[in-house]
Amino acid sequence: MESGVEKTMPDSRNPKANPLAVLREEFDNWAMLFDPESGNTFGLNPVGVFIWKHLDGLHTTEEILKELRKKYENIPEKAEDHLKDFIQTLIKQGLAGHETQKT
Amino acid sequence: MDLAITNRCNLRCKYCSHFTSAADVVQDLPKEEWLHFFEELNRCAVMSVTLEGGEPFCREDLRELIQGIVANRMRFSILSNGTLITDEMAAFVSSTGRCDGLQVSIDGSNPMTHDTFRGEGNFIRAMEGIKSLQRHGVPVDVRVTVHKQNVKDLDEVARLLLEELGLPGFSTNAASYMGLCRQNAELVQLTVEERSLAMNTLLRLHKKYNERLSAAAGPLAEGIGWLKMEQARREGRERMSGRGYLTGCSGPMSNMAVRADGVMVPCTQISHIELGRINKDDLKEVWQNHSELRKLRERHNIPLSDFEFCRGCHYINYCTGNCPALAYTIVGEENHPSPDACLKRFLEAGGRLPDEKNLRLASS
Repeated sequence: MESGVEKTMPDSRNPKANPLAVLREEFDNWAMLFDPESGNTFGLNPVGVFIWKHLDGLHTTEEILKELRKKYENIPEKAEDHLKDFIQTLIKQGLAGHETQKT
Repeated sequence: MDLAITNRCNLRCKYCSHFTSAADVVQDLPKEEWLHFFEELNRCAVMSVTLEGGEPFCREDLRELIQGIVANRMRFSILSNGTLITDEMAAFVSSTGRCDGLQVSIDGSNPMTHDTFRGEGNFIRAMEGIKSLQRHGVPVDVRVTVHKQNVKDLDEVARLLLEELGLPGFSTNAASYMGLCRQNAELVQLTVEERSLAMNTLLRLHKKYNERLSAAAGPLAEGIGWLKMEQARREGRERMSGRGYLTGCSGPMSNMAVRADGVMVPCTQISHIELGRINKDDLKEVWQNHSELRKLRERHNIPLSDFEFCRGCHYINYCTGNCPALAYTIVGEENHPSPDACLKRFLEAGGRLPDEKNLRLASS
């Protein structure tokens, strides 16, 4: 089954990090996300880094949320919305997309 | 990271800081060594590299090296004399989409001034190189090195670069007492009076062209920096923030370099400090733990009051001690204030600070 990365998003497809994007982790668990195509750099807090590392095309958004709940305490009620917004922002910046399947 | 990808150069500029310095090594590395190193840079999440030399366009395999940089998720800049940039190479550099800038050295507004220390015919070649880059949309930076022969040509240089070529800006420095300049100092380096003239002219042009001139060192940076120090002294301020210690260089906090023979060094200007060898020593280990890098990063804890050189100076609490490479080349010690950057001695030698009315808020 072939796969590719698209930038549009129905929820059923698994989010995937753009393999070109560079994650540069710092000593304090924060990180920079660098897009070599544009030269843009973004800061990620530790939760953002955790989510980024789960954008492997194998986890659904729901599964990532479940992993977040296991790892962190006091996850807010609206965490699912925040997670979707975050992923959508990454997609808009060209840093992530969705794993697709050939039909 | 600054990568000296070749020791070769088609020119021998009279003030070149590279040749005869510790960076001037016998042999270039083969392409395979650089490509292998780029993979390590990728693993270490290095985001950009600066290719320099010698003259990077002397390498016949430059295209392949750049392709290796791109494949390893990095961006790049190049420092060049501009004379070997063909239209085809300019098109290739542009096609990568990863070039942050290609810096070309221009020393005059006309062939006679530029070629004095760079060799006959090279002004025209460098200008052609710039035009090729512009044709293909490669961001062009120009560096003007101020010296005895062009210090009275700076108005015309600015007009050429900013009006005729339409560059967004250009940077300046002075010929420093390093490399070939050491044996040509009297021919090349500015006297105190010429230095005063350069400061005043560049600051005036900086204002005229709405801050499109920039400098990290040299007469423009000194003019701005020294005026602020003099203001602080006049106002009786106890200290300027971050001053009074050897804080002049933050390079080791964010940058490292590699010589053309593959030896890692803190900076191409202090190439005598050898930190290890690429593809043999672990880059991350060197970057995080090498004792020489640690020593350079801790310079900012050394007060200027520790030095006999600074004794009795009214500017001591406004001074950074400036560049460790210049300190090394002049007094033989990196952890020492640079005598070349001493405002007190400049004024004692008859130097004059530029007109304060041309000082805008710091942006150089």
